[in-house]
Amino acid sequence: MPKMKIDGVEIEVPAGITVLQACELAGVEIPRFCYHERLSIAGNCRMCLVEQEKAPKPIASCAMPVMENMVIHTNTPMVQKARNGVMEFLLINHPLDCPICDQGGECDLQDQAMAYGFDRSRYHENKRAVPDKELGPLVKTSMNRCIHCTRCIRFATEVAGVEELGATGRGESMEVTTYVEHALSTELSGNLVDLCPVGALTSKPYAFEARSWELSKTESIDVMDGLGANIRVDTRGAQVMRVLPRLNDDVNEEWISDKTRHALDGLRHQRLDRPYVRRAGKLVEATWDQAFGAIEAKLKGLDGAKIAAISGDQCDAEAMVALKDLMTALGSPNIDCRQDGAKLDGGPRGSYIFNPGVRGIDSADAVLLIGTNPRWESPVLNARLRKRYLAGHCAMASVGPAVDFTYPVERLGAGPATLRDLVDGKLGFFEKLKAAKHPLIIIGMGALAREDGAAVLALARDLAEKLDAVRADWSGFAILHTTAARVGGLDLGLVPAEGGRDVAGILAGCEKREIEVVYLLAADEIDTKRLGKAFVIYQGHHGDAGAHRADVILPGAAYTEKPGTYVNTEGRVQLGQRAAYPPGDAREDWAVLRALSERLGKTLPYDSLNEVRARLVTVNRNFAAIDQQAAGSWGMFGKAGTVSDAPFVSPIANFYMTCPISRASKTMAECMASRAQLMAAE
Amino acid sequence: MASLDRTARAFLLTELVSGFALTLKYMFKPKVTVNYPHEKGPLSPRFRGEHALRRYPNGEERCIACKLCEAICPAQAITIEAEPRDDGSRRTTRYDIDMTKCIYCGFCQEACPVDAIVEGPNFEFSTETREELMYNKDKLLANGDRWESLIAANLHADAAYR
Amino acid sequence: MSADLIQFFTTNWLGQAIVMLAQCLAVTVPLLVSVAYMTYVDRKVWASIQLRRGPNVVGPFGLLQPFADGLKLVLKETIIPSSANGVLFIIAPMITFMTALVAWAVVPFDNGWVIADINVGILYLFAISSLGVYGIIIAGWASNSKYAFLGALRSAAQMVSYEVSIGFVLITVLLCVGSLNLSDVVVAQSGWFWHWYFLPLLPMFVIFFVSALAETNRTPFDLPMSEAELVAGFHTEYSAMTFGLFFLGEYANMILLSALGAVLFLGGWMSPIPHAPFTYVPGVVWFALKIAFLLFVFSWTKGTLPRYRYDQLMRLGWKVFLPVSLGWVVLTAAVLQFGGWVPKH
Repeated sequence: MPKMKIDGVEIEVPAGITVLQACELAGVEIPRFCYHERLSIAGNCRMCLVEQEKAPKPIASCAMPVMENMVIHTNTPMVQKARNGVMEFLLINHPLDCPICDQGGECDLQDQAMAYGFDRSRYHENKRAVPDKELGPLVKTSMNRCIHCTRCIRFATEVAGVEELGATGRGESMEVTTYVEHALSTELSGNLVDLCPVGALTSKPYAFEARSWELSKTESIDVMDGLGANIRVDTRGAQVMRVLPRLNDDVNEEWISDKTRHALDGLRHQRLDRPYVRRAGKLVEATWDQAFGAIEAKLKGLDGAKIAAISGDQCDAEAMVALKDLMTALGSPNIDCRQDGAKLDGGPRGSYIFNPGVRGIDSADAVLLIGTNPRWESPVLNARLRKRYLAGHCAMASVGPAVDFTYPVERLGAGPATLRDLVDGKLGFFEKLKAAKHPLIIIGMGALAREDGAAVLALARDLAEKLDAVRADWSGFAILHTTAARVGGLDLGLVPAEGGRDVAGILAGCEKREIEVVYLLAADEIDTKRLGKAFVIYQGHHGDAGAHRADVILPGAAYTEKPGTYVNTEGRVQLGQRAAYPPGDAREDWAVLRALSERLGKTLPYDSLNEVRARLVTVNRNFAAIDQQAAGSWGMFGKAGTVSDAPFVSPIANFYMTCPISRASKTMAECMASRAQLMAAE
Repeated sequence: MASLDRTARAFLLTELVSGFALTLKYMFKPKVTVNYPHEKGPLSPRFRGEHALRRYPNGEERCIACKLCEAICPAQAITIEAEPRDDGSRRTTRYDIDMTKCIYCGFCQEACPVDAIVEGPNFEFSTETREELMYNKDKLLANGDRWESLIAANLHADAAYR
Repeated sequence: MSADLIQFFTTNWLGQAIVMLAQCLAVTVPLLVSVAYMTYVDRKVWASIQLRRGPNVVGPFGLLQPFADGLKLVLKETIIPSSANGVLFIIAPMITFMTALVAWAVVPFDNGWVIADINVGILYLFAISSLGVYGIIIAGWASNSKYAFLGALRSAAQMVSYEVSIGFVLITVLLCVGSLNLSDVVVAQSGWFWHWYFLPLLPMFVIFFVSALAETNRTPFDLPMSEAELVAGFHTEYSAMTFGLFFLGEYANMILLSALGAVLFLGGWMSPIPHAPFTYVPGVVWFALKIAFLLFVFSWTKGTLPRYRYDQLMRLGWKVFLPVSLGWVVLTAAVLQFGGWVPKH
């Protein structure tokens, strides 16, 4: 712990950090452009110059490691003059187009020019002109504004793992470029926009739409994948204008995937803004009263066993608990939250969550991926795995689809047979896992959402126990969910009760006319053709597959439009706030279920959000611990049995369209087309 | 003696009489009223009247949708929506001023980096209905075209003092 | 033929009614026209005092302005507040307007030009002008609005206070004339203009004029409708023609009190110089000129003086005018008695 003096204040700092970080610990802000906590150090913007006693010239604090008895000054005339001069140099070629720049108002260069810059210009020469680059449908470039901090290059190379950005030329002719004109082949390209300290990289779909000062900012949780990335939803009036990441080192650091960031235009299209009732084969606009009336008429005197409910992938816990309570009141055991048919039956909690947590990845020293492609199932988590790889000394292997993970992974095989061999110790990687202190086994839905899923789960469990991967100090058994609602649903017990049917059973029952009424709570990923002649009630926010088949549509709220509780794949309970109000007659989902229950004479015992949340805690105590990951218990789960030879297939065939919102999004369609073009070119 | 004098003055209503004499005198002084619709008073080049959106001499609209006027407007009378035009340039799709909210402070024209929104010399824009005072972009551009010569002259006259 | 007609109009009841109607019209129509132009003159006078032009757009010199205003009032919607007493609310302006007109029955325009040449003319006038306050009180109460109510209260108190001193003023004049007949009052002042009562009874003339201002709620005594505190006083809730009637009544009252002033102090229809060629001018013209002069002073006052405070108004009425006018009655009576100038009939 070296001792140093910063602006006359003695401070003891951890060894190995830089002077800039030390200054931050001392509460002194150092201006910077190229330095970023999560990227390697470049030291090329020179904005962070500080004065070190006994040094002949100012030092770049971001690149200087702290040393014993260093004396640093950050507010001397020399430092001020240095900053002033650097700022003037940075502005030599920076155009004066702040009024038309989307970064205007939230621009590091603008702010720091105001704070540290010279107050007039001494330039009469022409500024240089740089051709704009094509970086795909999400990132708009305006390279004249680039100050060559190389954050984007470092992000693409280090975090995203696509070495497609670089700099050519030196001095004034330096350009940041893709070498060949093509879109970036990463699912994290949106983060480039956040990283760029100037307006050189801006968001293309958001181009010129709004100014930062017009937006109201709401903290929320992403539902596009199972990670539950912390996001900030920026709205103007009733419209969601953009989604930005929030800092949370336990979950998403400060990255979010392109789908999280840019699927929001799907929230404006194909919305269900009023109830519908099917009359003579056609869906007709109706009032809430008429819609409830139609449901009441159908349910009157119906046996509970003939009623079924399926909850969707993006539901909040409040809606799910209301659905579960309503089904219980109606006497129906047929309820399921696993649309993909994953064989996770809500046994011990440790069997269905990502036990080590996302942070646990950092300490893992051998990783086995089973039936998963995290790059598509959770790009941000994949970036974390890549970060682990870059840190070194971590063996990685995969049983499953052959894909580019953005880091080298030894592919052991394709299907359950390989897994069995591994469990039996027949493969060399078993020894590596065995030798590892913190082995990590990540099981994807590709391995579980199949007929023999329970057997595969049992195999994985055997492996974990053989490796001693689940101990008091470390649990290396990790389920990677692809949907935001799944862990919440399992925590709340949205699985068939005694004698009830699961999704497959419900669909089979519909075909055989044993199920007469199906309640779809925003469930669109099932094969709706198999619903047969059943009376389908669809409650959701988008006119997607479920709504097309529905007999009664109840308009609900999308994730930005309701305060909701979500449990991510780690089992971390997180709260999302309401950023906008649902369109038209649509209402929060739990409130719709509550109103319907009253109409059916089975009034649910909660009238306010607080009461629903209290009910959540009654059902599962984990819901009381917000933003925390309750440890998963371990026990018997899975069902040993024969496994088929079919290879594991990632459940996500198309990263850009996985839910009603992203399917309605034009931006996502453009991304898909762009990616397809890229594939074709290769 | 003084009290007697005061009492006499009070009873003889001298103050009243002098007041009446004064107003009577004023009755015969020349009138100062400007006979408004027929004659008008002088206007400063800085006069802040009806808003206008200006164009460049080649016909291109000046406004670049930076929204600084919207941000500075203390009455929140300005509403702007923007998107890229076909040629990729930043333009407004909507530029509304609620003239019933506007307080004519002139902050918008001060904020404008391209002299697009200006408060022109026109103050005769009363309407018969309230709706007509919700100005949209077309109306503002038309104002700009109509008053351009005067606005340009005013800006030129005031430029030396900026 | 003409004898028949004369007989018809003098003896037949129908003929007499027709004559009566014609006389009424002959009084009211010019009266209402002068009310209209009174508003115009008012505005012109105030404007010129303030160096403005006043109405000058409607018609030549703005002469049609009163008719434009009147037309506007007629065309507007009469709004009756939902919490008001509808019947009384409508009746109130009618009472005000009617009392202002009825009083004109006893005013002599020229020698013998009077609709009802009754012997108690002055008493009649006094009684009728006191009735006018009913309209205002009813209006203030029926509006069910605090501003109207306060305005009406002030108006009533003010009128009652100043009627007392007007009463003593009248008594002084009566003592000098020895008759309650208004024509007799005029005749008693015949001769050169220094025979008119305004000179010998100058303090009473001033008191009369000031009290007239108070009676008609004019500046500086316009507290009942002082817009700074009471919006518009007793007629706050009135609109369109109901408001118009108040307005007409108020101005008709002003003209009436001016006429009374002309009769009592300025020699009525008398010419100021009792010799040709002045005597060729008809008496009614002299009378109108005198009224016009007093009305001009009304407007002039409004353009000159600020409004009284309420306590000042009351103090002036009860503590200055009442003792002074009472004293003057006594003084006049004594002078008449001991000077041997008591009028004989």
